[in-house]
Amino acid sequence: MTIQEQMSAELNSAVPAARSTTDLLDEADRYSFAFLDELSKRAIRRAILSAVAVPGYQVPFASRDMPVARGWGSGGLQITLGIVGPDDVVKVIDQGDDAGVNAANLRRLIQRTTGVTTTLDRREATIVQSRHRIPEEGMPDGQVLVLQVPVPEALRGIERRQSELRRMHAEADYSRMWVALYEDYVRHGAITKSTGYPVLVNGRYVMQTSPIPRWDVPRLHHHEGLALFGAGREKRIYAVPPFTDVVPLTFEDIPFEVERIPGAVCVRCGSTESYLSEIPQQDSPSRWVCSDTDWCDRRTAGQS
Amino acid sequence: MGYAAVKGGLDAILAAEDLVARMRVDDASPWVSEEQLIGRLRLAVDRVQGEGGLASAELAARAIRQAEGDLIEASLLVRSYRSTLPRLGYTVPTPTSEMEAVRRIVPAFREPPGRQLLGRTLDYTERLVDFRDEAAARAALGEPPATPQEIPADSRPGGASAEHALTQPRLAELLAARGLLADRRVEGDPDPVDVTRDPVTTPAPRSARLSVLARGETGALVNLWYQGVMGDRRGAEDITLGEVRVGKLPVTVRHPRTGGPVRVGSVQVTEVEAMSNLNRPDENTAVFDIGYGLVLGHNERKAIAMAVLDIAMHRDRARTGLEQNVIATCDGTDASGFLEHLKLPHYVTFGSQLERKEAMRR
Repeated sequence: MTIQEQMSAELNSAVPAARSTTDLLDEADRYSFAFLDELSKRAIRRAILSAVAVPGYQVPFASRDMPVARGWGSGGLQITLGIVGPDDVVKVIDQGDDAGVNAANLRRLIQRTTGVTTTLDRREATIVQSRHRIPEEGMPDGQVLVLQVPVPEALRGIERRQSELRRMHAEADYSRMWVALYEDYVRHGAITKSTGYPVLVNGRYVMQTSPIPRWDVPRLHHHEGLALFGAGREKRIYAVPPFTDVVPLTFEDIPFEVERIPGAVCVRCGSTESYLSEIPQQDSPSRWVCSDTDWCDRRTAGQS
Repeated sequence: MGYAAVKGGLDAILAAEDLVARMRVDDASPWVSEEQLIGRLRLAVDRVQGEGGLASAELAARAIRQAEGDLIEASLLVRSYRSTLPRLGYTVPTPTSEMEAVRRIVPAFREPPGRQLLGRTLDYTERLVDFRDEAAARAALGEPPATPQEIPADSRPGGASAEHALTQPRLAELLAARGLLADRRVEGDPDPVDVTRDPVTTPAPRSARLSVLARGETGALVNLWYQGVMGDRRGAEDITLGEVRVGKLPVTVRHPRTGGPVRVGSVQVTEVEAMSNLNRPDENTAVFDIGYGLVLGHNERKAIAMAVLDIAMHRDRARTGLEQNVIATCDGTDASGFLEHLKLPHYVTFGSQLERKEAMRR
């Protein structure tokens, strides 16, 4: 049984099948479609529109308190609930994995408060909410990718004052960021920034990439789908519209590097061309599996 | 792979949820009613109303029971419920002089205008664990004493009438009349910022600061105040409390047709005015300035911390970034939620960090 089949079975047994909005309201007449009241959803959508209009700019929005703890995807959840309609099909992943606890939790919440269909198959989804990963194939069909963001400010490592950060972004004064990257390289022989690598969006704003691994960063460049970033605790929404320039900050003579582990191969599908997660072994070399379980499942099914 | 195992997520979550519900509902002890929680654990209920930002003792009590007594978790439940409610309107501003005070102390004077009303407070009780059982505790009560309303008016200092207790004069007015109070009126912040509908960025209008503090976590505010006492941050020193008041305030809205004010209920609040002895070279040292605290329910600790932080932020201006520090860190659900998110899987990000360490050696 593939992961996907197992998960499908779990979903079908544990969660009632998709119901209409009316049914849901009958059952829990305190809550409206997609949990939030309509005015709040409109406020979120207005922030999203601003974010799309100014790629990479962090739009402040009055983040609502969600029925998940802050820092557990409340920003991504507000975006998904703000844009989801009854006909949408939603996929939720954490670390690339549909079965992660955070993903399972949020998927169930979205399903219960909207009645929409959920899926594990990226190809069927119209909205993919994700923590820490872009699906391995990106979003080639132009679906919406919603990324959960813990810390939206790319410059926070070099500056903490909000007023100064606003000035730096407003004037595109990123000189201290360049100095920080240079010093990092000189001290360590490599740019040590791992996930959430800073990028320049549309030639204008420096943006924090979620934290997705560096592996995923080049795939944001001219990404086919709309990428929306939600930071609930910090009350910011930002966006990378489809086919926008997204360029990682690096120097002409120091190429941007994605993660590479020599010799690592997925033990399930044999992939060497995907982002792999390490499974340390007690007495033998580590094993590796694809972080995107849906992609891995489909490859495994196709090969067997 | 533990909690993100191939067949983990949903099964594990459902099992954990079932365990929680089972243990909570199935416990051998009697079910705790909302009435009991409100009556017997009123300060916990008040704290959750304040930090949850919703004046409903019944909802707070339900949340406390569901959260098994974890008050920050209970506040999160209240707040998330609040997110489902549309914002339909705003109440008419109510002068807090209309408060029906059940407690009022003025530490600044022995006999202030109005009166000192100790009321229901644990401040002066012996902090000894009470080992009596219920029957013994009830038996020890004796006859109830006369209520304040039954005390003859002329037996009180200043001869204040019983009606006077309802609308107390406040110390700030006295100081202002004597020209000893800094004028803090500002242009440009006419209506209170609704921090649940407009995101707060610093520097923030005072009304936004006060709203954030009013929803802040009690322990966080106390710690932020204490940092100003024991740490290297200034502005919280030399404070004298002018007012500490607990009581009910009327809630008034405009009638949708007539436009006239209609009283629709009341909320219990704690109000504090903290006087700061201005002493910096750039301040008018001939007067006092006042920090203000107002929180839902009976929560004096929080209201005092709020008032002191209000004046400390004002005096700090942008010197040390105190404002951003307070505004950005005092929310209990934000801080606790983000702390607990560290328990979520982080293997993609951690793997990437490992790879960079390896890369430095290559």
